[in-house]
Amino acid sequence: MPALLLADEIGARRGGRDRCDRSDDYSVASAGRHGRFRCSVLIAVLGVVVLLIVFGIGGGTQKKRKLKAIQTGGPSGGCIPESLIDLPVDYEQLTQSGAMMGSGGLIVMDERTCMVDVARYFLSLLVDESCGKCTPCREGLFQMHEILNRIVEGEGREGDIELLEQLAAYVKDSSLCMLGGTAPNPVLSTLRHFRHEYEAHIKEKKCPAGVCKALVQFRIAAGDCKGCGLCKKNCPSNAIAGEKKEPHSIDASECVKCGVCYEECPFDAVKAG
Amino acid sequence: MNNQEVEVEEGRTLLDAARALSIEIPTLCHHRAVPPAGACRICVVEVKGGGRPGLVPACAYPAQEGLVIETDTERVLASRQMTLRLLLARCPDSEVLKELAERYNAEPLPLEQKDDKCIMCGLCVRVCREVIGPSATCFTGRGADRTVSTPYKMLSDVCIGCGACAFLCPTGAIDPAEFCTHPLEKIPNEFNCGQDFRTPIHVPFPQAVPNKPVIDKDNCIHFKTGKCGACKSICPAGAIDYDMEDETVEEKVGAIIVATGYEMIDPAVYEEYGYRRYPDVLTSMEFERMVSASGATDGRLLRPSNGKPPKSVVFLQCIGSREEKIGKPYSSKICCMYTAKHAVLYKHKVHDGQAFIFYMDIRSAGKNYEEFVRRVVKEKNVTYLRGRVAKVYPRGDKLVVRGADTLSGGQVEISAEMVVLAPAMIPSSGVRELAQTLRIGYDEHGFLSEAHPKLKPVETNTAGVFLAGACHSPKDIPDSVAQASAAAGKALGLVSHEQLTREPTIGVVNEQTCNGCFECKNVCAYGAIERKELRDRKGQLLAIVAHINEGLCQGCGACSVTCRSKSIEVQGFREDQLFAEINAVSR
Repeated sequence: MPALLLADEIGARRGGRDRCDRSDDYSVASAGRHGRFRCSVLIAVLGVVVLLIVFGIGGGTQKKRKLKAIQTGGPSGGCIPESLIDLPVDYEQLTQSGAMMGSGGLIVMDERTCMVDVARYFLSLLVDESCGKCTPCREGLFQMHEILNRIVEGEGREGDIELLEQLAAYVKDSSLCMLGGTAPNPVLSTLRHFRHEYEAHIKEKKCPAGVCKALVQFRIAAGDCKGCGLCKKNCPSNAIAGEKKEPHSIDASECVKCGVCYEECPFDAVKAG
Repeated sequence: MNNQEVEVEEGRTLLDAARALSIEIPTLCHHRAVPPAGACRICVVEVKGGGRPGLVPACAYPAQEGLVIETDTERVLASRQMTLRLLLARCPDSEVLKELAERYNAEPLPLEQKDDKCIMCGLCVRVCREVIGPSATCFTGRGADRTVSTPYKMLSDVCIGCGACAFLCPTGAIDPAEFCTHPLEKIPNEFNCGQDFRTPIHVPFPQAVPNKPVIDKDNCIHFKTGKCGACKSICPAGAIDYDMEDETVEEKVGAIIVATGYEMIDPAVYEEYGYRRYPDVLTSMEFERMVSASGATDGRLLRPSNGKPPKSVVFLQCIGSREEKIGKPYSSKICCMYTAKHAVLYKHKVHDGQAFIFYMDIRSAGKNYEEFVRRVVKEKNVTYLRGRVAKVYPRGDKLVVRGADTLSGGQVEISAEMVVLAPAMIPSSGVRELAQTLRIGYDEHGFLSEAHPKLKPVETNTAGVFLAGACHSPKDIPDSVAQASAAAGKALGLVSHEQLTREPTIGVVNEQTCNGCFECKNVCAYGAIERKELRDRKGQLLAIVAHINEGLCQGCGACSVTCRSKSIEVQGFREDQLFAEINAVSR
């Protein structure tokens, strides 16, 4: 397969480093909205730059949307923002930027991924995995999860970010095993690179990515709407009205904020605000 | 550790090293009786060198050559504070956690509060599994939903009701009565008059001699079921031996001092006072134990009915003393003084409390006793009412004491939150049987008889047996000590000479005429008749005759009168001597 050959060639050229002179599997999945992944499993050799994996081998983002971040290493891993995309896939480089290699997974996130929601989701996986023996992991992760739940539901309070940071540092430092030791990573790395999103959720009660249901309202920009009717056809609660070739509109009282119209509109006429 | 060198045995932990240096590290999930878990994280210390740097639990991390540890860094303190905050968010009412949070300045943060008591330390699980054996409790669930319960949260078939889990639990969160399928018997602490409970292995009271624990075999789970054995596994001296048996010790002694003490009558026989019917009616002994700092309430005086300090206490003296119908005719001597003492103690503990004492007469005849009672009346504002109490009955949540006040000539009714009865003093039970074994006398109340009330107050009619203390008559501590010193002096006087000096008026057996019927032995009150074997030069037995023990014989002459062959005579009162006296008098 051409992709494999490409990878081998790059690997040979880079030669590998002291710690990383063996092949490593690396799987790539592309994610728009959380929960819907389109997976392509490819093999890449260590040292290949992330950019290359995503765009060269992975085929880029869905619908050519703007790349926002890459999540590496599974739920305990961290994210790398788009600005660091020329990072090589390497143990030390990743750890320095706050992510980790982990089991070698890589998730691609575009501008329609809410980083606060991502942190909350990964934390909920880790809360489920916690065995509950030591206080930091059992109680600390639980408290962090409660705070994130409040934030995505629009009930974030002044001081929540500082509290999250304090709890995260504690759980990382004092846990009995590395589950607790790495569990705060999603929160810590999203706070490090996407603090503004947290602040928007808490202070302005807005979700810039249009994901957090309590904070988002969908409306159709009449200027962009071509009246194709795709949204109306797919709306599960019949909240969209409009004639063919005429601009459609969303009835906010019926809208359940599933986001299908937002996702499907070929003209990006549905706006989240 | 903390810049001090320390060496500990192989296999010990950082916590052991810290304790060797008197460095304080708090713990919650650690107990020396069970293997460590390192679960609560409050004991974390920082590894600075000699190992991977970071925070480690002192209770579980093994001491190693070359480790450099700091126990009080910023990082350690920050972690400890957060652990306490999180545990308090889980169990906001725990006194232990609140106290620790205060000590380490863990101010509260806006955390989600729960309403639990269990801090998930796992001590109960570990002790039941590793020390006791049945593993009746376990962790169920995982993560934030983890709880301590029995398998499937059902009643336990294997719990033996030892209570070790409840004993170790730092927050009082576990109650074996909730899952144990057989009734948990609590053993009332006899020394504290049943006001609290004791374990089967216990030191009876703080001043016990020897001051060592003893196992109550009838209630010990190991002796009943073969399980547990927790005491043996935890004893650092290996002092517990379940195979020890009771020993009967025989000693030959020259003197015995009887000091068997006293008991008090059960005042329930006076139904009008409501003892055992109303919880707030106590005996003076129960009151004494409750106000003692080593008692069931650590010295706090609390009403048994509601656990609050009583605002008013009425003391009733002469319950069963000086009363001939169903009580004792004598005065118990000690009650007037200890009641005054109790009233003073009460006022010290409850400053705004009211104390009343119903009395007949005040017997305060010792040194400074009268002055003490005067002070109690004048300075401590205790109200003395001269009269008997007719009845104690409840009204609402208090008791009403109805009695006579003869000095003002009327009836009084006092609303009391606690009533204290002063029961009559009686000799210890079983004293009559002991007296018969020792061949000493006792009166109709069981008080042991002295040889002469004025001249021989510590001796009995049996040589070598002496008396001391309340077994002789009601008396208080100074008099008991004085009498005991006298008895000890007399006993020492008896045994400290090489030869026993005694009066010569003792019985003598004529061994030629004695036919060995031993009728004399049956009548001797002092056990002075012994069997003696007469043998010829070859060692053959010729006869068995009576022999009088010179030390024991009191010269009463009962044997002499009984002897059918006239073989016994009392020296100084021989027949010929008696006839000579009669002849001289009747001339």
